Amino acid sequence: MSSSLHPIEQRILKALRETPTMRLEDIVGKTGLQVDQVRRALEWLSTKGYVTLTRSAKSKLEYGGLPPEVKVVQLVEGTPPPIPLSDLRANFGSDQEFSAALGRARSRGWIVTETGPGGLTSVRRGSEDSLSSLKEIRGLLDHVSSNAPISERERELLPDLVNRGFVKAVEQSDVAVAVTSKGLGEVPESGASEALDRLTPEILASGAWKGRSLRPLDVEAKAPVFHPGRRHPVRDFIKEVRETYISMGFTELEGDSIHPGFWNFDALFIPQDHPSRDMQDTFYLEGLADRKLTRTGTVANVAATHENGWKTGSKGWGYTWRIEEARRLVLRTHNTVLSVKALSESREKETRVFAVSKVYRNENLDYKHLAEFHQMDGIIVGEGLNVRHLMGFLTEFYKKLGMSSVKLWPTYFPYTEPSLEVIGFSEAVNAWIELSGSGVFRPEVTIPLGVKVPVLAWGPGIERLMMMRFGLDDMRALYGADLSWLRERRELAGS
Amino acid sequence: MPVVRIDFPRFSKMVGAEREKIIDRLPYVGLDIESVERNSVRVEYSPNRPDFGTDFGIARAMKGLLGKETGLPKFPAKPSGISVTVDRRLSGVRPFIACATATGLRLDDEDVRQLISLQEDLHNGLGRKRRAVAIGLHDMDAIKPPLSYKAVGPSFRFRPLDSKREVTVVSILKDLPEGRAYRGALSGARVYPVIVDSKGTVLSFPPIINGAATRVTTKTRSMFIDVTSMDGRAGDDVLAIVSTTLAEAGSRLGTVHVKYTDGSRVTPDLAPTKMRADLGLVKSTLGMNLTTKEIISSLRKSRLDVKGGRALVPRYRIDILHPVDIAEEVALGYGFDRLKPDYPASRQPGAFNDFENFLDSASTVMAESGMIEMMTFELTDAPSLYSKFSRPSSERLAVMDPKSIDHSVLRDNLLPTLMASLSGNVKSDYPQRVYEVGRVYGREKGGVSESWQLGCLIAHAQASFSEAKMYVESACRLLSGKEANAHESTHWAFSPGRCAEVSVAGSHLGHVGEVKPESIEAFGLGVPVSGFELNLSKLFELLK
Repeated sequence: MSSSLHPIEQRILKALRETPTMRLEDIVGKTGLQVDQVRRALEWLSTKGYVTLTRSAKSKLEYGGLPPEVKVVQLVEGTPPPIPLSDLRANFGSDQEFSAALGRARSRGWIVTETGPGGLTSVRRGSEDSLSSLKEIRGLLDHVSSNAPISERERELLPDLVNRGFVKAVEQSDVAVAVTSKGLGEVPESGASEALDRLTPEILASGAWKGRSLRPLDVEAKAPVFHPGRRHPVRDFIKEVRETYISMGFTELEGDSIHPGFWNFDALFIPQDHPSRDMQDTFYLEGLADRKLTRTGTVANVAATHENGWKTGSKGWGYTWRIEEARRLVLRTHNTVLSVKALSESREKETRVFAVSKVYRNENLDYKHLAEFHQMDGIIVGEGLNVRHLMGFLTEFYKKLGMSSVKLWPTYFPYTEPSLEVIGFSEAVNAWIELSGSGVFRPEVTIPLGVKVPVLAWGPGIERLMMMRFGLDDMRALYGADLSWLRERRELAGS
Repeated sequence: MPVVRIDFPRFSKMVGAEREKIIDRLPYVGLDIESVERNSVRVEYSPNRPDFGTDFGIARAMKGLLGKETGLPKFPAKPSGISVTVDRRLSGVRPFIACATATGLRLDDEDVRQLISLQEDLHNGLGRKRRAVAIGLHDMDAIKPPLSYKAVGPSFRFRPLDSKREVTVVSILKDLPEGRAYRGALSGARVYPVIVDSKGTVLSFPPIINGAATRVTTKTRSMFIDVTSMDGRAGDDVLAIVSTTLAEAGSRLGTVHVKYTDGSRVTPDLAPTKMRADLGLVKSTLGMNLTTKEIISSLRKSRLDVKGGRALVPRYRIDILHPVDIAEEVALGYGFDRLKPDYPASRQPGAFNDFENFLDSASTVMAESGMIEMMTFELTDAPSLYSKFSRPSSERLAVMDPKSIDHSVLRDNLLPTLMASLSGNVKSDYPQRVYEVGRVYGREKGGVSESWQLGCLIAHAQASFSEAKMYVESACRLLSGKEANAHESTHWAFSPGRCAEVSVAGSHLGHVGEVKPESIEAFGLGVPVSGFELNLSKLFELLK
């Protein structure tokens, strides 16, 4: 058999060898192929001159549904009387449709309605002689749906039903196929060695496959759906962020989520009555405190800085600092807590550290707020660092994460001065969006920790960048545990 | 963050600049643009800049930045002749009061709106919901000085704002919305503070409500301002912001004599504060070798000035605490957009954290086993954690005042949140095989312990103990290079007889089993579920 023929074309020619002329539908029935597959293959075979196609058109009537007036009678016939009118209503889409159906059936005498003594309207079937027109219509519908010929009388009833769409007139093209001698030459005589269903270890071992072909399969048929294993897109993005930081010379930090308020707030010069320390915004753990925290060493320095500026050259906040407030355990509200702890422990003159991890805020969940989300905070510590270095770092960092256009605007945080907000242009929403807070740590933060060189710091969230990348408009979708999205989301490479 | 509405025609007149220029420069004053309309823009300002609480305050800064009006704004104030005597019995209730007058006012509707919004923002911000500081604005023409700030008993009566009749202070606290909202500031007090004039007219019952007699309208030409507080500095700060804003609105300020039992003072004191102008710190913070002349001109654009080596700071700038703040004012005046970014190249290589890498590999191993990774929340609901597994909740770790009970308890295990995830996916194709690498919490010696866990669930018609065991054993083998052992055990998530403890090198790491049918039912699932939980922190320790 010619190898230039598609397996489907081969199957059709094989069928035509047994019956040289067939209608398209017969070929479908005989080969078990789809109509479209056969139609496409016949076009090719005809172009190659293997078959001739003769087309003829004919009109065919198709059943389009039960007219409502017939449906009413049918319902009445199927229900023991008396039948309250209201019982029938439920079978119709609208009051309008129902009353039209009732009207038609009643005017033809197919049903009779009467109002009883209780004011209840009931329905019964009309008398036998008024039902002859109903019988004719039913006969017509039967013939149409069973493809049987219709009588002259029935033909008169057609226009009304066709106009109302209960009978449809469909134009159909009929294709007669005849195989040519050229086509027959392409098909091997029956009785040639039989095709193999599949290879087996035995067939391979015995060599029985030699000289035999494999039975062609419908290679276009659908295969079963497969769901491969996949990492979470947030994890993949975190990996990308970690690699970006590492490539810029940063050391990764990891640490606990729960800290005394001291490290989350006080050490960052956030006054104890600052609104962000409210239970409204921060998760405090019920009944738990770090009782080992005492006003000595670093804690004492920080406390004095809050009260009067201590040796930092600041005025301080001017209030009485309380150890109890600093001891309360909180779920960290930012990851800068990890950098600050690392700073106070190492007191290195030059270092770069980062952490990508969860932070927690007492929020109602909505499309742009979550109670738990990820931040990718980092700091650079070093002699001679200044705000232009901060700007340079952030521009480069976001360029690596796929943000081509970044602006830096002045803003405020209690623990940095100057403070800058990073704004990036999102092509997805065609707008500038907030990416990160950043700044140079205030002396009120660094000096009490024993750090004598400038510290550049920033604390960006990752979810907004991810939403832009995945074209999501609801942050909750990232953590919605929606299996179909996690299975089927498109794999996105960087940016 | 608080919001101010800026009307373009009005603001353009104030600053002498057009719409586009204004929109372009607002961020460089330190304001976040929230939304832009044709005729107005809404901006958010940081709570450290309460002087931005009106368009007057923003215009003052903008004029400096645009070079239209630079240096210290002047706020001359003449004695008003009014005095306020403070009752010593208020020392434990609400001890401080500071006052000012503003005369020659011609306020239009927008002016009044801006002032009311400023008052609201100050109450919520510096005022800490009026607990720390509260402001009263009064029509001065309705007042007969001298005034007294005195303590009264619970049955003292007056007619509060928007009320038709006189009521007692106690019923105000009990019945009026303002009373209920702010009475916390007076909790435990046995006497109540009121400000009255020489005829006994009540100006205010701070920090709750003003009197009806001295109400401010657009017809008010002279205003009396009272600021009561728990802390003298905070009260003075707020009065400085309110009175300098009224001066920007075109009024003349007057001072008030406040007499305490142990001394007296004149308020407001609007003299500029002084801060060391550390030129070296300015240059090193900005990384710019600016000349002294450039520094001074930048500071003047930020509405500061320099005199004798010190920066003069307008009294309303309560955010200037340290010489480093002066450095930022230089940058603002100079323009942050004129500073050139300078990437600081690293002199050292970076380093991944080993444990974070380990967690990442654990996820990869599971995904490569054909599982889907879930990331669920660490704060979850108590029923999912406890009652759906019929186990006691006595050890639970709850957070205080959560906004949602769905996120109120810290999980101690990943199996509950994974079960909840499966129950949200009953319409997805089975088999479902999911895992999570996540943080879990426990109680330990009066404190909290944190560790990382690998949780995994398998849900389909034939899900079994042995399938789960196959996965946990392969995970242990691939992550540690050692064989895992299983010993018969029990666990609250699994059916008795279908549960084993998993250990590696003699160290117990977790459990594997078939989830008990009552839990499958409680989570609304209709297929068998098996799975495991493994302590990754412990496994990592083993490898060290």
